Amino acid sequence: MYDIKKIRNFSIIAHIDHGKSTLADRLLEHTGAVEKRNLEEQLLDNMDLERERGITIKARAVRFDYKAEDGETYHLNLIDTPGHVDFGYEVSRSLTACEGAVLIVDATQGVQAQTLANAYMAVDNDLEILPVINKIDLPSADTEMAKREVEDIIGIPAEDAPCISAKMGLNIKDVLEKIVSDVPAPKGDPAKPLKALIFDSYYDSYKGVVVYIRVMDGTLSVGDTVQMMHTGAKFDVVEVGTLGAFTLDKKDCLKAGEVGYFTASIKNIGDTTVGDTVTLVNDPTPEPLPGFKKAQPMVFSGIYPADGSKYGDLKDALEKLQLNDASLVFEPETSIALGFGFRAGFLGLLHMEIIDERLEREFNLDLITTAPSVIYELVLTDGEIIHVDNPSNYPDPQRISEAREPIVKASIITPTEYVGSVMQFCLDRRGTYIDMKYLDTTRAELIYEMPLNEIVYDFFDTLKSKTKGYASLDYEPIGYRKSELVKLDILLNGELIDALSFIVHADRAYSRGRKIVEKLRDNIPRQLFELPVQAAIGGKVIARETVRAMRKDVLAKCYGGDITRKKKLLEKQKEGKKRMRSFGSVQVPSEAFMAVLKMDDES
Amino acid sequence: MNGISLYLHIPFCVKKCNYCAFYSLPGVTEATKDAYLDALQKQADSFPEHREVCSVYFGGGTPSLFGAERLRTMLDFLRTRFFIREDAEITLEVNPGTVDLPFLESLRKAGFNRLSIGMQSGCDKELAFLGRIHTADMVRSCVENARQAGFDNISLDLIFALPGQSAEDLADSLRTAFALAPDHLSVYSLQLEEGTPFFDQRTSLTFPTEEEEEGQYKLLCALAREAGYEHYEISSFAKDGRYSRHNLHYWQRGEYLGFGAAAHSHWNGKRFSNHPDLEGYIADPLGCNDYKKAERIDETESWEEDVMLGLRTSFGIPAHLVPALPVERMIALGLMERRGENVALTETGFRVSNAVIGQLLL
Repeated sequence: MYDIKKIRNFSIIAHIDHGKSTLADRLLEHTGAVEKRNLEEQLLDNMDLERERGITIKARAVRFDYKAEDGETYHLNLIDTPGHVDFGYEVSRSLTACEGAVLIVDATQGVQAQTLANAYMAVDNDLEILPVINKIDLPSADTEMAKREVEDIIGIPAEDAPCISAKMGLNIKDVLEKIVSDVPAPKGDPAKPLKALIFDSYYDSYKGVVVYIRVMDGTLSVGDTVQMMHTGAKFDVVEVGTLGAFTLDKKDCLKAGEVGYFTASIKNIGDTTVGDTVTLVNDPTPEPLPGFKKAQPMVFSGIYPADGSKYGDLKDALEKLQLNDASLVFEPETSIALGFGFRAGFLGLLHMEIIDERLEREFNLDLITTAPSVIYELVLTDGEIIHVDNPSNYPDPQRISEAREPIVKASIITPTEYVGSVMQFCLDRRGTYIDMKYLDTTRAELIYEMPLNEIVYDFFDTLKSKTKGYASLDYEPIGYRKSELVKLDILLNGELIDALSFIVHADRAYSRGRKIVEKLRDNIPRQLFELPVQAAIGGKVIARETVRAMRKDVLAKCYGGDITRKKKLLEKQKEGKKRMRSFGSVQVPSEAFMAVLKMDDES
Repeated sequence: MNGISLYLHIPFCVKKCNYCAFYSLPGVTEATKDAYLDALQKQADSFPEHREVCSVYFGGGTPSLFGAERLRTMLDFLRTRFFIREDAEITLEVNPGTVDLPFLESLRKAGFNRLSIGMQSGCDKELAFLGRIHTADMVRSCVENARQAGFDNISLDLIFALPGQSAEDLADSLRTAFALAPDHLSVYSLQLEEGTPFFDQRTSLTFPTEEEEEGQYKLLCALAREAGYEHYEISSFAKDGRYSRHNLHYWQRGEYLGFGAAAHSHWNGKRFSNHPDLEGYIADPLGCNDYKKAERIDETESWEEDVMLGLRTSFGIPAHLVPALPVERMIALGLMERRGENVALTETGFRVSNAVIGQLLL
């Protein structure tokens, strides 16, 4: 029976590894929504990669019933949120679909950067926040410390916070009771015109796009003609229902306050943008829900198959991934050095890594990914303003009157003992110090304004290694700032290798250029002639190394008519050739590009 | 091609040398050697055709350890199964530490007309380092005995690019070799092979750099030329046209049959090889050698073989066999040159022949 007062819509928010997915599993298990034996570890993360990384990439939602101690049965909708800074917008949309958020704090680690970022976002969305202290089974757990941090740092009361162990299934009921008692029932009127928020979607090859919605007002029924208010697309609803743990449960309609899905033979996932408002064509709501943003890629890179003949496979794979990830954008790109590939845009570095890994793992592709780039804003001498994310399109410096680069506000929470080295590191990465707060005696939050291009360049990994893995990072874009930028080119044998060009701050050009030519020298196998490797800005060479000519590559002996060795060698050469990129008479194995493009150390 | 060649692998040695990865065993009993002779004959007997033979080569291992009697018996047996031409080159590999004058005389009488003597170095210290069982002096007396026994076609094997070897050391060895007036020289650079004592000690040995080794090779080429030797293959030098006809046969893709453990054959458009170990071979001399089942070399492979084997020699290959553009590039780099209708590797090209061949074939 539909009773809006018995609905509770909530999210679980947490820093990575603080136990979000485990708690979700326990809630489902406790209410009997799933049998324990059916529970794959961490049900809500249903992509392999997520499970491996212990993070949730895409939001998922599930509805389950809970018979509370007051004797009433409540319909709970748990809306999962992506746990990474790259997906901030998606998190905010998921939170908009809720009235409350369970904020998990690890009793051994306390409040972390993403705990804070997500908590603030929940506050901004007027959600009721229910702190929960997790991992109390661990010997190093300090529940009082964790509660104190929630009160001091986030500023919400935590005295009554349930202290649980999601892993051991301890005190799960307390969490459910809290949800029922503290999370407000949704407001909304099923009689009003339909106003529903899209917070996720995925592509199903039979049904088309399955759209996850939260109905704010009105009623959505099978057969309705709906319109997406921002994209303008119209569809006839084929199916509506609620979200079971493993299934889509068909219903006749979804009413105000409810969370569920609909399908409408939608072919293109781009028509169902997260944050868009769904309404009825015949009885539209006057205003869409606020806060809609089109997901903007912030990081770009070229993706090429290591074996040039796999271009078609790469195209298919990207298209398949895009079916479920509208934030992934790509277009064909041709590189002189790397042949045919794609220029792809990502929400952030993690998003890029995930796509890269999925391409390699799920589609068995071997890829060369060029150095990540951000979008630069260039004011040309004729006053025109252009945006450049691809070094190949970088105009002649003579034509640029002002170069600007994107800046983010970065929040880093680190144990106090590393404050010095983190500050030095931020300074090295051209950060501007804004603020520092001691969260408690052991941890500090540093606020810096940083160029995004420094963040995409291996920032997080280096930060982690400088703090023995303890620091956490969150960032948000705050606009463009004037900067001294140059395009750095790499030349092999005097020929420009377009795929290795990148845009860099002038002060860093020399050291990066130096590093790259050294790496190339070490990774390009000797050729039959001496090979100069140069880094240049404009026509000016700023660094040079030489790959010496090969002096020995011979089988001295072909003994007793045994030529198998010689033949094996030829086979090996043939195999290698497939992964060889040639320009002019120079041949460079894909591996050399990979080694150079993989910036695994500081520079 | 006039006739086929026969290769007989004799996998016995006094002790394994420190660099050797070929199949050979120390301490083999007389009974096993008899059984091996038996197996060799069985295999030779299994080829139905009475083909003309232009060269026979007994290699190893140390074939001299097979004993003069068995060697003669085997050669005689081959004569009953094949037509071994009167002018056929019949080579025996010998370790200078294992033969004396009577031995050499009996072999000469049996019909062997070419000796390949494993000299390796003219310096006793290097010989000891390589794990050889002989001294430089024993090489000298071996060559003298061979001449006395009537061998007028003698080849010496040498190794260079040894850890710690200087250019001067190599020049000394070469001068020692030239002084013995061999008709042919095979000079190989030391190759580090897995499963050898050198391989196990590789971290404590200092091998020459590519550049140092190239320097030694250039020195070798110059000294050999000066001494009147023609550099006709990557590692081979001959005086007065006394090439190793047996090896040339390999490089010209002639047909050959390999008898014995681990021996390879190229016959009837197929390549195949025998059981790789002594026991396996003795138990079943025809086993792996099922040439009927072996896969036929296809056209592409055949072309590849023509190119990669032909380019081992200074005679090269007909220019039309390979695409012109890469050839021009290699010529411009000084790695190849034209020889009439043929193109061939230069001495600089020999050093990087694998890479050059890769450029031409891929």
